[in-house]
Amino acid sequence: MTPELIIAIIVTVVGASTPILIAATGELVVEKAGVLNLGVEGMMLVGAIAAFITLFLTGNHYLAIALAAAAGVATSLIFGFLTLSLSANQTATGLALTIFGTGFSALAGQGYSARPVTLLGPLFPAEIATHPVWRVLFGYSALVYFSLAMVIAVWWFLKKTRAGLILRAVGENDLSAHSIGYSVVGVRYAAVAFGGAMAGIAGACFPLLLTPQWAERMTAGRGWIAVALVVFASWKPFRLLAGAYLFGLVMTMELYAKAGGGPLSVIPSELWAALPYLVTIAVLVLISIRRDASSNAPACLGRPFLPSN
Amino acid sequence: MQFRLEKRLEPSRLMLYATPIAAVLLTMVIGAVIFSLIGYDGIGAVREIFFTPLTNAFKWQDLGVKAAPLIIIGVGLSIAYRANVWNIGAEGQYVMGGLAATWVALSTYGMSGWWILPLMMLAGVIGGAAYAAIPALLKTRLGVNEILTSLMLTYASVQLVYYLVRAPWKDPMGMGFPQTRIFSEAARLPTIIPGTIVHMGVPIAVAVALIAWFVMSRSVFGYQMKVVGAAPHAARYGGFSENKTIWLAMLVSGGLAGMAGMLEVAGPFQRMVPGFPTNYGFTAIIVAFLGRLNPLGVIFAGIVMAITFVGGEVAQTSIGLSSSATGVFQAMMLFFLLAGDILVRYRIKRVAPAAEARA
Amino acid sequence: MPYRLELTGITKRFPGVLANDNVSFAVKPGEIHALLGENGAGKSTLVKMIYGIMQPDAGEIAWDGQVVNVTNPKAARKLGIGMVFQHFSLFEALSVLENIALGMDAKIPARELEARIREVMNTYGLLLDPHRTVATLSVGERQRIEIVRALLLDPKLLIMDEPTSVLTPQEVEQLFDVLRKLAAQGCSILYISHKLHEIKALCDTATILRGGKLVDTCDPRQETSRSMAEKMIGAGLKDIVRQPGRSMGKPKLVVSRLSTRKTGHFDVPVDDVSFTVRAGEIFGIAGVAGNGQNALLDALSGEIIGDDKDAVTIDGYPLGLLGTTGRRKHGLCAVPEERNGHAAIGDFSLSDNSVLTARDRLGMVMLGLINSGAAKTYTGKVIADFAVKALGPGSTAGSLSGGNLQKYIMGREILQKPSVLVVSQPTWGVDAGAAAAIHQALVDLAAAGSAIVVISQDLDELLALCDMLAVINLGHLSPARPVDGVSVEEIGLLMGGVHGTMEGADAVPA
Repeated sequence: MTPELIIAIIVTVVGASTPILIAATGELVVEKAGVLNLGVEGMMLVGAIAAFITLFLTGNHYLAIALAAAAGVATSLIFGFLTLSLSANQTATGLALTIFGTGFSALAGQGYSARPVTLLGPLFPAEIATHPVWRVLFGYSALVYFSLAMVIAVWWFLKKTRAGLILRAVGENDLSAHSIGYSVVGVRYAAVAFGGAMAGIAGACFPLLLTPQWAERMTAGRGWIAVALVVFASWKPFRLLAGAYLFGLVMTMELYAKAGGGPLSVIPSELWAALPYLVTIAVLVLISIRRDASSNAPACLGRPFLPSN
Repeated sequence: MQFRLEKRLEPSRLMLYATPIAAVLLTMVIGAVIFSLIGYDGIGAVREIFFTPLTNAFKWQDLGVKAAPLIIIGVGLSIAYRANVWNIGAEGQYVMGGLAATWVALSTYGMSGWWILPLMMLAGVIGGAAYAAIPALLKTRLGVNEILTSLMLTYASVQLVYYLVRAPWKDPMGMGFPQTRIFSEAARLPTIIPGTIVHMGVPIAVAVALIAWFVMSRSVFGYQMKVVGAAPHAARYGGFSENKTIWLAMLVSGGLAGMAGMLEVAGPFQRMVPGFPTNYGFTAIIVAFLGRLNPLGVIFAGIVMAITFVGGEVAQTSIGLSSSATGVFQAMMLFFLLAGDILVRYRIKRVAPAAEARA
Repeated sequence: MPYRLELTGITKRFPGVLANDNVSFAVKPGEIHALLGENGAGKSTLVKMIYGIMQPDAGEIAWDGQVVNVTNPKAARKLGIGMVFQHFSLFEALSVLENIALGMDAKIPARELEARIREVMNTYGLLLDPHRTVATLSVGERQRIEIVRALLLDPKLLIMDEPTSVLTPQEVEQLFDVLRKLAAQGCSILYISHKLHEIKALCDTATILRGGKLVDTCDPRQETSRSMAEKMIGAGLKDIVRQPGRSMGKPKLVVSRLSTRKTGHFDVPVDDVSFTVRAGEIFGIAGVAGNGQNALLDALSGEIIGDDKDAVTIDGYPLGLLGTTGRRKHGLCAVPEERNGHAAIGDFSLSDNSVLTARDRLGMVMLGLINSGAAKTYTGKVIADFAVKALGPGSTAGSLSGGNLQKYIMGREILQKPSVLVVSQPTWGVDAGAAAAIHQALVDLAAAGSAIVVISQDLDELLALCDMLAVINLGHLSPARPVDGVSVEEIGLLMGGVHGTMEGADAVPA
């Protein structure tokens, strides 16, 4: 392998990982607040179509990202209203949200397939990234840097700020947080909305970063992989990085195999396509073999909040 | 004036059964409004999706054929969800059931005999159950979340279909199309009403639901599913093993999904094609909830869902509405149902102005 | 000087219950004021309104002579009201420091907060490491966090809700010292309890509630325990009727070298526990919560199965390898501490709850099908014999009050005529009438020749009920003693983990 190829692979891996990383970072905050939103896939699809249509009509990438975030928030608030205000079952509502997002994005995206848009270019001027080594550091679009910055920001928020402490407290023991006088529902709404914004932006990565077009179900289960990644990371932000880049690597290998890249193409392309999902299962198995991995889960995860008064 | 929720002493049975019906009606009303607002013919969409399939007698056979797999899978899922086992990979188990039945059909190609269809049925059930056994094993042995594993396996199973019909099972006379050959006569499901497309799967679906209803309401098996789902700690105290229950729930729901896969591939499809995964397994999740996790309710919900499918196709040709609109309507129905759930346990009470001033 | 706190005509209504009916009383500065009443008398509702968690439907709260509207706990803390809850509002996965920070309304830098915490701890002798995770602390230590958290706000009124139910007698004495020191500095204390001897030892004034109404405000030092108890309960007290000079039968339940594995982070397994219960005997197991009681009950009932068949035997028959169903068939029934979700399923009808444990012993199952008629008949008998207040066998378990549900559960097991019955916390959170009925039923079952094990944290209950008594501490069981020959101090030391008298004398805090 030449250095150029290695660098090209690294750049592709980082790109492929970014949407998963962004969505997982959002979901991590949601789960830390004690809420399990399984609608990430649906919110990502809504974000993807919002970003695509905005980009197609205005050509403005950053406006597309902003509207994708807004669309993600709006979708997440359906979930929030049902589970937080009406105490509906979180698992069922999350599934419903994914079914809704799939249908809604397909409906909204009718007539937009096969229309081309342009990808979001690198953040830094090309001169900085001429040397291959510099390209590894400075050759990415703003979304990639955003994903890394958010991992750090979320770590800092949860670990170092009072608001983060309150959010963790709500996820650990909602009744106690309520009895001390914190608004459990308010904190959870905020977390769900943040998760929605992040999922929307993660969805925007698909037309903006990976394939410059709209296709139904183009997120192809990446939202579910993001949910799995949070478990894999034991609810610790920095561990999300390792998990996301592992998936990026698997997906990059698939791309190279499809492109007819030497030894990889011996294996049928369908197996490559199935690999990210099989790796997800393998990773979940590995993490569960390590003892007390699940004991890190927020104690109230997925449970409805029912104060007695 | 203000409203307040007040917990009911006992869950309301009336609300339990009224809310699914209200959810369907609300979906029609709100759906018409929303679709009108975003520039479609909202009332036309609701009419075509919800009523045309019922008023047009020619569509009834379509309803039966579409409802059958939804009911069979939905019954299985309703049992699993009762036990709090979140099998959401029924689509994958449906696919694997279809593939296993296809394997039997292709291996017996050219043969005849009454035993071929039962053998395919057996293969389908085993195929679906075996695929569901993977999440069951991982859940009981290692505590791996079954939602994620069963779903990931669904994505993998679809790729398996693509591979098999592209390479080893490809029809040699198929002019390069990625599909198997048409099954021989003995491996195709006969129609039961001459001149229609109604096949054996329709009465089987009704029978499955009735048997499941009896088992769930009367037997220790049904009791076990319900106790483990409602209070796992109490279940252990009562002598029911949680792991055994997870296994049973996964195998039953997977086996029924596999049965539906066999009926589909031997009935409407008559061959394996890349388009075989038709999302029945996902729609059946809505069916199970809309049917209140009760096998008899699942029959009703399966028919409602089949109406939206058939109606969605009607609306596609008659008023040019995208088929994805059906999915939006189905999700709305589930949203309204989940929102209505709170009325089962709480009643809405008007707060008197005097008390409100203090509150 | 105005009263620190004055309540006038406080009324609070819940669906179907009048929780507080026109309650009025006042607390002076520096006074330790008891709020006394049975479970369900309306004490908790009343203090929740003082602390702003609930709002009264009618009546006034005055603070230092001014009528105030306490809209939420934050407003209460701003006034200078602190509260220590019966069920701690702590976060297990967080540190002591983080827990205390969460209870502070003002933003205080972590370092400054830590210094203040250490200061309060030293002043009142409440020692704790601020950086430890709560999950690793004992119940008594956890309560200290709550107290420190309340004291950091310099409260003028401290509300203590049943603070001693989880403490050893020695820990109770330490707590009283802290409270007296606080009161001497002018802080008022509202002390909620139903333990009469504590109130006599600690409080200046007692306000007694019954059925939501104020019965009396009195000086506990002028009253006898009996007179206060009668005010609290109303009608004359019923004593347990037991035949004097009973003779015990042969050893029935023999537990030998029973151990369990540690399963989760926070539970305490039992380690090498042995004891014998004779036919007709009631064997009590005392101990502070969280010392292995749950594991012991599960290991006896069969929810936890060990690998030694002789660890649990009835009349010599080994049950050690059987599950709950197998042990029930051989006559061992059990009632766990948690009623809702463990001993009963709230969403199920009482009839379906009977199927849970009685299906095999009473033949409710034929060929895998449930005979719902038999379940209904049996449930009706339980409801009638144990005076369970329920509409019928079709009522859901969740619709019953705690006391009625407990009567149903006890009845469901006792009417199966078990030869061995193991119960945990049989009267926890149950009103006095129901508690008396349950105690009588246990005594009667023993008189009929069954062996009974009662696991409880309520020493008074055990002393009144049992023939033999042992103490569980960190999963170890002390040797059993006849109840007639033990002192509360001795039991208290055992509960605190001190074994043997010499050692014990050194360990008593001065």
